[in-house]
Amino acid sequence: MSAVVSPIREPLIEGGKSYHQISEDLCSPTERTPSLAWVAAFMVAVTFLALYVFCVTWTIWQGIGTWNLNRTIGWGWDITNFVWWIGIGHAGTLISAILLLFRQRWRTGVNRAAEAMTIFAVMCAGQFPLIHMGRLWLGFFIFPYPNTRGPLWVNFNSPLLWDVFAISTYFTVSLLFWYSGLVPDLATIRDRSKGMRRKIYSFFAFGWTGRAKHWQRFESLALVLAGLSTPLVLSVHTIVSFDFATSVIPGWHTTIFPPYFVAGAVFSGFAMVQTLMVMTRKVLKLEQYITLNHIDSMNKIILVTGTIVGVAYLTELFIAWYSGYIYEQFAFYNRVMGPYFWSYIGMMGCNVISPQLFWSKKIRRSLFWTFFMSIFVNIGMWFERFVIIATTLARDYLPSSWSYYVPTWVEIGLFLGTLGLFFTLFLIFVRVAPVVAVAEVKQILKVAGDQYAGKHSHQPSAHSETHH
Amino acid sequence: MGLGILCLLLTFFLDSQPLHVRFWTNFLQNTVFFTGIAFITLFIYAAFITSWAGWYTQFKRVMEAMTMFLVPGLVLLLVVIAGLWLGWHELYHWASAEEVAKDQVLLGKSGFLNKGWYTLGTLVIVGIWIFFAMRLRSLSLAEDQNGGVDFAHHRKMRIFAAAFLPVAGFSSAAIIWQWTMSIDAHWYSTLYAWYTGASWFIAANATLILLLIYLKSKGYYQGVNEEHLQDLGKYLFAISIFWTYLWFSQYMLIWYANIGEETTYFQTRMHDYPVLFYGNLVMNFILPFFILMRNDTKRKYGTLVFVCVLVILGHWVDFFQMIKPGALDTAIHAAGAHGGETISGAGGHGDHGAFHMGFTIPGLLDLGAMLGFAALFIFVVFSRLEKVALEPTNDPYMAESVHHHV
Repeated sequence: MSAVVSPIREPLIEGGKSYHQISEDLCSPTERTPSLAWVAAFMVAVTFLALYVFCVTWTIWQGIGTWNLNRTIGWGWDITNFVWWIGIGHAGTLISAILLLFRQRWRTGVNRAAEAMTIFAVMCAGQFPLIHMGRLWLGFFIFPYPNTRGPLWVNFNSPLLWDVFAISTYFTVSLLFWYSGLVPDLATIRDRSKGMRRKIYSFFAFGWTGRAKHWQRFESLALVLAGLSTPLVLSVHTIVSFDFATSVIPGWHTTIFPPYFVAGAVFSGFAMVQTLMVMTRKVLKLEQYITLNHIDSMNKIILVTGTIVGVAYLTELFIAWYSGYIYEQFAFYNRVMGPYFWSYIGMMGCNVISPQLFWSKKIRRSLFWTFFMSIFVNIGMWFERFVIIATTLARDYLPSSWSYYVPTWVEIGLFLGTLGLFFTLFLIFVRVAPVVAVAEVKQILKVAGDQYAGKHSHQPSAHSETHH
Repeated sequence: MGLGILCLLLTFFLDSQPLHVRFWTNFLQNTVFFTGIAFITLFIYAAFITSWAGWYTQFKRVMEAMTMFLVPGLVLLLVVIAGLWLGWHELYHWASAEEVAKDQVLLGKSGFLNKGWYTLGTLVIVGIWIFFAMRLRSLSLAEDQNGGVDFAHHRKMRIFAAAFLPVAGFSSAAIIWQWTMSIDAHWYSTLYAWYTGASWFIAANATLILLLIYLKSKGYYQGVNEEHLQDLGKYLFAISIFWTYLWFSQYMLIWYANIGEETTYFQTRMHDYPVLFYGNLVMNFILPFFILMRNDTKRKYGTLVFVCVLVILGHWVDFFQMIKPGALDTAIHAAGAHGGETISGAGGHGDHGAFHMGFTIPGLLDLGAMLGFAALFIFVVFSRLEKVALEPTNDPYMAESVHHHV
């Protein structure tokens, strides 16, 4: 870590905080009675969660027939939602692993919440393949082990099976990463608490005392996990893209899918982080930790990844024409001009065109626009998956089997229900653990912009002797 | 450089084959390879500026000088273009009107694959790249003279750098399709442009490391130490893996779907060009992966120089295998169509597994041609570099770069 910081950089934490103030600001949300806003949000989220439970029960009880899947549309909202959630689950690990390796110190303000979001999003994503099985109780069939069913093995050639491995690995590593980062902070909360609460946090803090040895192990573990998760960020969505690209379906089989899916995933992940952070920093009063500078940086990433996705869309479109292959050409003609043209417009508009607003620094630093755009991008990325899946399946090789797919109330309920699951988990998380990584923020306090001479500069606090 | 010209001329005259296939493929390959290095350096530089990176600042002049090769690159491309119009070569199957007329697929593509677009695309796109390279370099130099505490130059550079990124993203794809993908005129892959870009990236990265180590050995850039080299080495490691990822994505999806129109590309390379096909993977993935995995290899000059030379050659071979098979096929076809003598080569029937110097494996003449272009590249870089201060003075990130510590 270089101790010299350019005067052109803005401070990462505002308000000239002392160490104690940081602990106070970040831990207190878990110690107060929840605010009215939190209670209201929680009630809404739990209501949607109940809807989810109901729809799952309905699906399992009545069967998959309650969805509008039919020939030729074997996949509909279920896999659209699955890919959407998996994509959202990419930002957390990108922030915590790749930005750690790139030594981007601004990550400390948002990494904790982003990692939590990753885990919850992957949990939501995992629901869909399971429910789609119809007979949920046979879900363990997806694991390859010697069995008494024939022996009936899983199909190792299937990308759907690779998904099982990729996602479970990703989930495990992300969980470890998140939890190991939480340990010092849980210990901080433990030390501030009394009674039963102290016992609980004591259990979860794994006996952390902050000894030099603990920190040494902590840092090497973080580095190893970062190294492990970096390829995982790429691999998970790559394999999700293989679900489509290994087929011979025009519009699905294209070589750009793996990196383009990854870029899209990071794009949607950051959008969801923005949606959550804009709300969280306001409700928990964390404006000096998650500064406008953070929002600005993340909006830049959204702009970059949105444009990469744009390059990919146009590449696909152009190469479809260039291929000279009529089925490929039709698939793309159908995407743009076919019965689902509105979803293509939604995708292009929300993912490529509207993020270009972020060229303006004013808009990047405006909370209203950030929030508004993050919702836009979330919608756009959902449309992207819907475009890829539904428009392709609705028009296959045989015109006699062409149809138009609309979801049933059960499918819509399932999607809204996973939003309920996601927000319920997130709201619980902000109550039980610090949303911003306390220990990591303290680490960057001394090197994060005391030299800054610009308009957001502040008087350094008492602790600000230069750190070497 | 003299050696290179000599080798090129030798190739031209010694080449017994009509149309001088070996000469022209070497010419195109090296032109695209080194112009691409200059382009991607500009891209990396713009990305560093946009992302507020500070550590590279000490040696940014070297990167600026590397981008200056875009100008001679354009001149070299103009030679290819002149050849296209004047019929000096048969590099591109789509360039021959009679071929296109009887080929349904090429006819369909002729709206894009034609001499006009090739010329216009090259001129406009490389012209835009040169504009950005010049702007960024002159702003950076002006900052030395009269940069103030408001960092106006730097802020202006940020604007140009940010604007260049999407321009580079869209334009590089379009022009790579023209320059190299269209050699296999029937074949297509959506990933191709990014794959090529990654290949350039590693070559540019390795070139930068070699230049820095050389300059250090001459007593310049003493402030650039193993901390900086380790970071550059990490990029080399990471992008090598990324390149492999793209290679695998392209190969695996085509292999899995097993559609004849697509598999032919790899089929030809695996069976008729095995040295290039497998050598490509060994040189660009296996060796750099295992060598650079360790922490210390990125900090030692010896290993770093070895890997850099290896991957530069590796990615040169990558371009070699992208260009040669398709161009040879085209030439065989053209020679056959003209009723002239046939061209012997790996693409011909019946000699699978036979080596054909200059096509299935690079021969000394090809390596010589490469050295010639490399010498021109180095000449351009150093002659640009000697005119300016090697280290910037008023860059706001200079202090960070000097005190860089991993």
